[in-house]
Amino acid sequence: MPDRRRTLLGDTLAIVMAGGQGERLYPLTRDRGKPAVPFGGIYRVIDFTLSNCLNSGLRKIYVLTQYKSGSLERHVRIGWGPLFNHELDEWIQCVPPQLRVGERWYQGTADAVYQNVYLLEQERPRNVVVLSGDHIYKMDFAQLIARHEAKGAIATVAAVEVPIAEASAFGVIAVDETSRITAFQEKPKHPSPVPGRPDAALANMGVYVFETETLVRALAADARRDTRHDFGHDILPSLVATEKLYAYPFVDENKKQTAYWRDIGTLDSYYEASMDLVAVEPVFNLYDKSWPIRTMIKQLPPAKTVFAQEEPGGRLGIVLDSLVSGGAIVSGGRVERCILGPEVRVNSYAKVVDSVLMDGVDVGRHARVTKAIIDKGVRIPASFVVGEDEDEDKRRFTVTPGGVVVIPRGTQLD
Amino acid sequence: MPKILVIEDEKNLRVLYQQDFERDGFEVVTAANAAEGLGMVEVEKPDLVVMDIRLPGMDGLEAMSRLLDKNPKIPVVLNSAYSSYKDSFMSWSADAYVVKSADTGELRARVRELLTPSVER
Repeated sequence: MPDRRRTLLGDTLAIVMAGGQGERLYPLTRDRGKPAVPFGGIYRVIDFTLSNCLNSGLRKIYVLTQYKSGSLERHVRIGWGPLFNHELDEWIQCVPPQLRVGERWYQGTADAVYQNVYLLEQERPRNVVVLSGDHIYKMDFAQLIARHEAKGAIATVAAVEVPIAEASAFGVIAVDETSRITAFQEKPKHPSPVPGRPDAALANMGVYVFETETLVRALAADARRDTRHDFGHDILPSLVATEKLYAYPFVDENKKQTAYWRDIGTLDSYYEASMDLVAVEPVFNLYDKSWPIRTMIKQLPPAKTVFAQEEPGGRLGIVLDSLVSGGAIVSGGRVERCILGPEVRVNSYAKVVDSVLMDGVDVGRHARVTKAIIDKGVRIPASFVVGEDEDEDKRRFTVTPGGVVVIPRGTQLD
Repeated sequence: MPKILVIEDEKNLRVLYQQDFERDGFEVVTAANAAEGLGMVEVEKPDLVVMDIRLPGMDGLEAMSRLLDKNPKIPVVLNSAYSSYKDSFMSWSADAYVVKSADTGELRARVRELLTPSVER
C-alpha cells in the first residue's frame, strides 16, 4: 500500500461533525439530521463540506453521526464511498456513537470527538481537521493546513470577516497583527475588531485544524471538567494561553465579490440560501468546474416540459428562473423561481412560485403553491392552495417568521 | 482519611500496595479485576483509583474510560509494568502514569500529590 502519510494531506484526518439535531430546521429535520437535509435540488447539506474535502485532497474522512442517521449513512456510503480507494489509503466512513466511553449521547462537539479518540489512536495522523457537516461554503483546506504548518500552530481556526455591527450574532475571534488568537468571544456585545479594521470582526467558521496530540490532550482534560464540551466554547479557549493558536482568513473558492459562508441554521436561512441559487447571478456558484460539488447521483431521465399551447386557456408547461433536477416533469403547469428536486411533477394549470419542491413532490391540476418548502414525496391535491392565506396556512402547517410555508414529509392533504 | 481503590490482578502487589498506602495514612480497598473494581467505586466511593492496565477481562484503559464517564473528577493513576501504554491516547485521561517497579516510591509520591487538597489541579 502506498504511504499517503508522506504528504501533509495524506497525514491529515478529517472529522465531519454530523450529529446535530437541527431543531431550528424542524420539520425538515423530523426524519433526518441537518446534514442530510436536501439542498439545491440534488444535493444534501453535507455535500458541500465533503466536496471541500475532496477538492482539497483530504481522503481520510470520518463522519460522526448521531440522531436519525439512516439516510445520511446511506447517502455517504453510496454517493461518496466509491470516490475513495481503500487501496490508496483513502476512505470515508460514517461512525455512529460506539458507546465506548460511556452509555450516553454526545454532550457536545468536543465530546463527540473525545468519545471517538480511538479512531485517532488507530490512525495517528499528524493533524486533524474538524469540520461541521451543516455549512454551505467552498474552501481549500490544503491552504488552511499549509498555513497551520507554516505558522507552527497547534491549532488554526478558519475565520470569515463580518461587519462589526453584525458580529454579535457569531462566535468572534480576537487576533493580534500576526493573526495570533488572543481571545474567543461568544456572541459578544462588544466584538473585537480586526487589527487596523475597526469596521470588521472575524467570525469563527467552525473549521479547525489541530495538531493531533494537542487535540487529544485538550479533549481528555475537557472531558473531566464541567463544561459544555464544545470546541468553540471550551477546547479552543483552553489553548489560547499557549500562544500557538492562529486564525486563518477564509479564502473563498466561490470567486465572488462577497465571501460566501452560510450556516443553514433556520428555515428562513435555508429558504434564502435556496432562493439565492435561482437568482440571475447567484452568490453561490454551483457551476464552477474547478470546484465541483458532488452528490449521490441517481440515474434519472432528463427533466421535461410538456404542452406548448400558448393560447389563452391552453395547457402550457413552462419553467422560468428555476433549477430543475433529473426526472422532473412540468406538464402543462407553470413554475417560476423554484428549485425542483428529482422526479417532481407539476400538472396542468398548476402554478408554483418562489418555492422549493423536494424529490417526488407532485402538484395537482389547478393547485397553486407560493413561497413554500415542500418535503419529499408530498402530493399537493388538485386545486389546493398553499402560501396565499397565512392564517389558513398556519392552521395546517409550519409558517416561518419570514412567511415561508413548510410542508413536511408524509403530510396527507387529500 | 482519604480512601484509595487499587485495581490490580496480582495478589502480591495488592498486598504490597495496601501495606504501603496504609503506612502512608490512607484507607485502602482492593479489587482483582476491572468489573469488580468498577462495582466497588459505587459502594466505596474512593478518593483515588490506582489502576493496573493489563487485567483479565476488561483492561484498565477501558475501565478508566467507564470510571471517568460517571466520575470525571476522581483522580486515576495508571500503574503498569509496561511503559508502552503511555503513548496510547486512551491513557492520556489519567492524572498520572507510573511504571511498576520494586520500589513503590514513585507511585506513592504521585498518589500523595493527587490527594493533597491544596494543590490546584
